[in-house]
Amino acid sequence: MGERVNIVVVGGGTAGWMTAAALVKLLPRRCSVHLVESEAIGIVGVGEATLPHIRSFNERLGIAEAEFMSWTRATFKLGIEFQGWGAEGESYIHPFGTFGYGAGEIDFHQYWLRLRQAGVAVPDLEQFSMGATIARMNRFQLPASDPSSLSSTYGYAYQFDATLFAPYLRAIAERLGARRTEGRVVAVNRNAVSGDIESLTMESGETIAGDLFVDCSGFISLLIGKAFGEPFQDWSHWLPNDRAIAMPCRTETALSPYTGVIAMPAGWRWRIPLQHRTGNGYVYSSQYIGDDEAREALVASVEGEPIAEPRILRFRAGRRERSWVRNCVAVGLASGFLEPLESTSIYLIQQAITYLVELFPEREIVSSDRDEFNRLIDMEYDRIRDFLILHYHATRRSGTPFWDYVRTMPIPDSLAEKMELFRRRGRVVKYREGVFLDASWVAVYLGQGVIPEGHDLRADAPPIDSLARGMEKLHADIRQAAARMPSHREHLDAYCPMAKVA
Amino acid sequence: MTSRGEPMRSVVVAGGGIVGWSAAAALRRRIPALQVTVLPIPTGADALADRIGVTLPSVLEFHDDIGISEGDVLGRIGCTYRLGTSFEGWSDDLPDYVHAYGDYGRALGTTSFHLHWIRAAHAGRVPPFDSYSATAAMGRAARFVHPRGEPDSPLAAFGYGLRVDPDRYRQMLRAYALHLGVAEQAGTIAGIELRGEDGFLAALRLDDGTALAADLFVDCTGPAARLRSAIDARFDSWSDWLPCDRLLFAEAAAAAEPPSLDRAVALPSGWRWESALPSAAAHGLAYVSALLGDSKAARVLQTSAAVEPAEAPVTIRQGRRPEPWLRNCVVIGDAAVAVEPLEWTNLHLAHSMIDRMVAKMPDRDGSAVELWDYNRESEAEALRVRDFLQLHYATAARPKNDFWRAAAAAPLPDSLAHSLRLFRERGRLPYYEEETFTRGSWAAVLLGQGVMPRRTDPIIDIIPAEQADRAMRDLRERISQTVPTLPSQAAYLRHIVASARR
Repeated sequence: MGERVNIVVVGGGTAGWMTAAALVKLLPRRCSVHLVESEAIGIVGVGEATLPHIRSFNERLGIAEAEFMSWTRATFKLGIEFQGWGAEGESYIHPFGTFGYGAGEIDFHQYWLRLRQAGVAVPDLEQFSMGATIARMNRFQLPASDPSSLSSTYGYAYQFDATLFAPYLRAIAERLGARRTEGRVVAVNRNAVSGDIESLTMESGETIAGDLFVDCSGFISLLIGKAFGEPFQDWSHWLPNDRAIAMPCRTETALSPYTGVIAMPAGWRWRIPLQHRTGNGYVYSSQYIGDDEAREALVASVEGEPIAEPRILRFRAGRRERSWVRNCVAVGLASGFLEPLESTSIYLIQQAITYLVELFPEREIVSSDRDEFNRLIDMEYDRIRDFLILHYHATRRSGTPFWDYVRTMPIPDSLAEKMELFRRRGRVVKYREGVFLDASWVAVYLGQGVIPEGHDLRADAPPIDSLARGMEKLHADIRQAAARMPSHREHLDAYCPMAKVA
Repeated sequence: MTSRGEPMRSVVVAGGGIVGWSAAAALRRRIPALQVTVLPIPTGADALADRIGVTLPSVLEFHDDIGISEGDVLGRIGCTYRLGTSFEGWSDDLPDYVHAYGDYGRALGTTSFHLHWIRAAHAGRVPPFDSYSATAAMGRAARFVHPRGEPDSPLAAFGYGLRVDPDRYRQMLRAYALHLGVAEQAGTIAGIELRGEDGFLAALRLDDGTALAADLFVDCTGPAARLRSAIDARFDSWSDWLPCDRLLFAEAAAAAEPPSLDRAVALPSGWRWESALPSAAAHGLAYVSALLGDSKAARVLQTSAAVEPAEAPVTIRQGRRPEPWLRNCVVIGDAAVAVEPLEWTNLHLAHSMIDRMVAKMPDRDGSAVELWDYNRESEAEALRVRDFLQLHYATAARPKNDFWRAAAAAPLPDSLAHSLRLFRERGRLPYYEEETFTRGSWAAVLLGQGVMPRRTDPIIDIIPAEQADRAMRDLRERISQTVPTLPSQAAYLRHIVASARR
């Protein structure tokens, strides 16, 4: 075994502590981890809402779910409800999971399309999703593992207080030997010959040396952006939102097991119910609305009494050309930013960490590891990018300059082709790897009114009557199975009630 | 003019070989509204998918999709089973190895088995990689049983292919296609008529004056690509990467006891195969005509395999046609991708293309977007098959032979270069979309040919070496206990044929 790699993590937010905890847990004999952070610099605390992938991350770290949920005051998340996206007044759920039983070579929605196009009255596709049905009923139960059960066709994630996640991980990381130094970085010292980073100089005068530097410094992108000047691919012409105002409030309505994403005149608003409060935020484009106006709109729209002052964040959509340059790996906002419309922030952090662990270098870094890391990260960003743009472009909203722009803007060819493919016969571009697979695309297309003109001809094979009967039965089975589940609140209270606030 | 939303109504399939009849049966069975007509013109000696009766496990799925059971094949035309290929002489100083279609070892937790084998090999002597595959062991012992399903057995799940007599197989497929309602139109092509406005194929003019018109033309005529050649002659040659341009075929009497593996034997100036079809042993030699004269090649086959070539040498040109679906003409099988029979991909690729054609069937207007999706996936699939085949040459170690030295020194396409660099560094196998061969297959060839990664991937640290060693020993023990209890393939075949008759 080679010598230990000395890792220096810059930044102690969600990305920093997720990275530190994962490295010390998964590669205890390969690395030593030293994290530097400054309490004077706030953390963004991205992503109160997550994707199901976080469960495998937690599992690898040996985190017990109920304890973790209790600590972070978490709720369950079965998907996202999009309000007013296709058009004012409409609503659909993008669930985690599949439609129907999710099995078979021909996608379920093809049979559904065939029936609709034949004039058979069938409920909306959403009603054939177990996950969406449970969500609408505000119920929850852990999925079944038996693949023949309808209860195995949905997944779940968490909605939690991200500001409590980092301290939770910090405790794990420090227990396993990660060091922490408080203070600001004032200089990044690079080797004059190789260009690699050798050390950081702290405000205190202390020098912290390392072999590999992980840039978790957030938007400021201290190492990969500032020190290395890695170019930023700007996607703001497709994703024009560049601001968010966040403000938590008391929960007044039912504790929904899903995140709310509500279209607003110049962007959208999130609603994330936690056990003790509801997180809210307005994501908007400063080209189309002023900060004050956005703040007022947010304050006016939240459901309960505000718990804190509104806080503003500034960003730009896009990513660094490369996320691993020389001996510096960027994780989280330092590497790029995609708005939290589909709760991908923590997912992107997690993928970067997973790939870093899978491609963990020696003290001497070889280029093939870097190349593979960058290939994988680019794929993640690019796929999510197209999926997000779809939400804006596939809309019939009009009358506000923001929506008029996104509805009519030129989109990437890769997305235009996907949309046209769906419009014709409901076909979805298939990927085996990466996030947001077929069912997610189908949910958003149909939810936002991209309605295919035809269907896959293979769906014509079964007799139409038996198909219609099967659908009817499936619909009833889903409703019955969902109705037997406990309410979300009941399940939380029994499983992971948050510690009483002192 | 045809318009959007009008489904294909009629298809002409040109080519009366296995590929043509398979395509016709699949189209008719899976899109029952289609009128399908086969023009059964004979395909050339270089149409390998039509003449090599050796299949990959995917054949069973293809059969299942079109409604043919394994019992149908066994009962009607007979078949033998194959578990993989024995590669002999590909690296000096190394024993033969088996590329089998089952697991190599068992993953430990989330870590791939091959990484544990690499760690053990770094630590000292270790039994060959393929000795951890129960499928390979069963193959070496010429035994066979179907997968057993019991989760605990080393033979719980594995893939196997079939060997069939090509002529009888073709006849069976023809009879089946006709039974499904496929029409057969005898004749030869005297001319091809194009539509003036868009260059689409309008009709095939036959020698008796008949005009065979259709919405879609499926070109299964082998490398000559009789239909496609009328509208486009582009061809991407892979000769820089896959140098063999000549094949010799021979036959010998069938073995009384069919082996469960086929053989691919490296010779000083090429490689030869041996495959136990039900009624004959099929032999062949692949070589480079510039390095080995045809008469000399015949002597090579005589001396190494003791068989007489049955016909003149067959010239092949390895590569692919770009945009395999162009206008209303799609090339399938060797017409689309021509490769040597190493790893038996010819018919597998044809099946995969047929399946994709059915799944992505565009409307009569031949919409660009559906062709884009078809062509995008087809290209990704073809390039990775090319990579996998070249892998055998790039990593073969026969430095005493000019042929092999040149093959090993050939430039690599970027994707293969990336795979090899990563594997040589740390045993990691990058995964691409539309990959035909699993990571297990890549590892079997790489490790079988003696490519030893420089270091052990740290990702397996979480499993202590002693634990992995124990698991490896246990597995070998269970394989060596299990395999001798299995029937020979000959006995097993007699048994299942007899019980089917009862």
